Amino acid sequence: MRAVVLDGIVLGLQFGLLGVGMTLVYGLGGVLNLAYGQAAVLAAMVVAITLTAGAPALVAAGAGLLAAAAGGVVLDRTLMLPVYRQRGEHRVLLGLLLTLGVAFVIDGLLLWRYPTGALRLAIGGEAVPILGVRMRVGSLWATGISLAVGAALLLFFRATTLGRAARSVIQDEVGARLVGISPAAVRTFIFALSGALAGLVAVTRSMTSPVSVTAGFDFTILALIVAVVGGLGSVAGAFLAGVLLGIVSTVSAFYIGQYITTIVLLAAAALTIVVRPRGLLGRSP
Amino acid sequence: MTAEPDATVESDAAPLGVSARPPRSLTRAFWPVAVTGAVLALVPLWLGDSRLMMGLAVDALVFGAYAVAFNVIFGSTNQLFLCVGALAGVGGYAAAILSDTAGLPMAVGMVLATALAAALGGLLSWVAVRRSLGVIFTGIVTLAFSLSFANLVLGQRELTGGETGLIVSAGEATFLRDRVAAYYLFLAMLVAFLVVFRALQRSHIGWAFRALRDNELAAELAGVDVARYRVYAGLIGSAMLGLTGAVYAHSEGFISPSTFEFGHVDVRVLVMLAFGGLGTLLGPVVGTVVFAVLDEVLIDFEQLRTVFYGLLIIALFLGFKRGAVPAATDFFRVLARRARSRFERTP
Repeated sequence: MRAVVLDGIVLGLQFGLLGVGMTLVYGLGGVLNLAYGQAAVLAAMVVAITLTAGAPALVAAGAGLLAAAAGGVVLDRTLMLPVYRQRGEHRVLLGLLLTLGVAFVIDGLLLWRYPTGALRLAIGGEAVPILGVRMRVGSLWATGISLAVGAALLLFFRATTLGRAARSVIQDEVGARLVGISPAAVRTFIFALSGALAGLVAVTRSMTSPVSVTAGFDFTILALIVAVVGGLGSVAGAFLAGVLLGIVSTVSAFYIGQYITTIVLLAAAALTIVVRPRGLLGRSP
Repeated sequence: MTAEPDATVESDAAPLGVSARPPRSLTRAFWPVAVTGAVLALVPLWLGDSRLMMGLAVDALVFGAYAVAFNVIFGSTNQLFLCVGALAGVGGYAAAILSDTAGLPMAVGMVLATALAAALGGLLSWVAVRRSLGVIFTGIVTLAFSLSFANLVLGQRELTGGETGLIVSAGEATFLRDRVAAYYLFLAMLVAFLVVFRALQRSHIGWAFRALRDNELAAELAGVDVARYRVYAGLIGSAMLGLTGAVYAHSEGFISPSTFEFGHVDVRVLVMLAFGGLGTLLGPVVGTVVFAVLDEVLIDFEQLRTVFYGLLIIALFLGFKRGAVPAATDFFRVLARRARSRFERTP
């Protein structure tokens, strides 16, 4: 049981990071980015290619994150412009449909070029005992990176000017504009950050299990679930929801089964929307 | 969400599609349905010899029926049901299990399956209305339902055959297995659905649909029971989906999770309908025909077809939001007006 919960935390921290990327873009631009998982897969493929070309792992990972971040910026600066011109529900709907199209384009192109592509970062070394459970080195690395990035993110949004500016835009776009913040610039930055986060999760995931070229849709759905349960727009909520859902997911997969686990996660999102639409830590609408 | 003060904010009307009033005269209202039925009835004369082509034509009609149902739910009342495939799957699997495993007569099984799908769709609609979920949250909840259904089918291996699928034997040795007969059956269903759609548009329900789609708050203030009409749309559309799925299961003789998969059914129906024109009578038919032909043309480009569809979605929603049918109607109206003015000018 203890091993299952620890595995759940390892998984959950990555869920959390994944959810943060989704929730930020929604909170800021009102866009549910359905091409989010494709950013992760794009990063995974770039890492795999640069690794095969002989680059060291760190450089390859950097290239992957950069590619995903660049993808986010391009999306924000091109296709999202007409979306921002819409208001309220129309904005969300148009953003959803356009990013769905982008997801198809990226998926199709990647599948066409790399039909069997997959990223697996094998990290060697003896398993390390933690709390009496032998943890694989890959899991520890993934957890360490997730924790560090998560802490850095929370710090960034609390203590830096740019982070505060981003939060102010999430809270009130007009108000932020009045104090001299450019929502457009903040949005571009957040899109890049979101892409990089997706890429990072793809890299940490690949330390414990392979990330295949077809995983995009699953990443997107997972991020969506985490973001909804945590409260759309809330960074801390996404982390909390990620860890909770990670534990629920491994416990349920261990005791009940894989298919039911997916249903449990989906039901968590649906129930959140029906019972408490603002999620765990979201602001009341 | 607040608007940017300096950005040009586009009109507040329904973002996609149109909500036009149907013609008042009975003949003018229903002749497009009759012509559609008559034209599509000629297809077997042309393709009837090829079992393969007839199979593809049947599939196209099935998608046409899905699209009409989705048009009732999303096109008429703005409820983003991302569970078209799942509701059809509920109908299909329920019909198959009720007749093959439970031993009920085929027709009884189909009726129960349709009722089950309608009840589930109505329930989803009711929850969305009661909790006043917006388009997006309705979309997420129904998407969660969709994926849960797929996982349920995969998990309940003894009942559903899991990933390998389910052979449905009740329809064997009936006319359902003949491709030409099945084609006419699905065509009859499509025409019937279109008639229902038109009849709804012409009734007081249609008035309510248009009112709540154009401006929900105004409709509510004018005394339209928005909640009730949304649930009506959910029930009717889901019944259509369930029935189509049930008949498909018996006519095809085999169903599997991929038959009703989200990525296979829902996305395609959405694109078809967006292309044809959301909320229009013939939008689903135009989308169906165009995409059946496109699929044939693009059959050799497996993955690039996905890319093409993605580009199409982007282009459709960026520039061509009203769809083909309204655009064509306007075009012909302008032509007619020009012709008339030229005629009047000539002495």
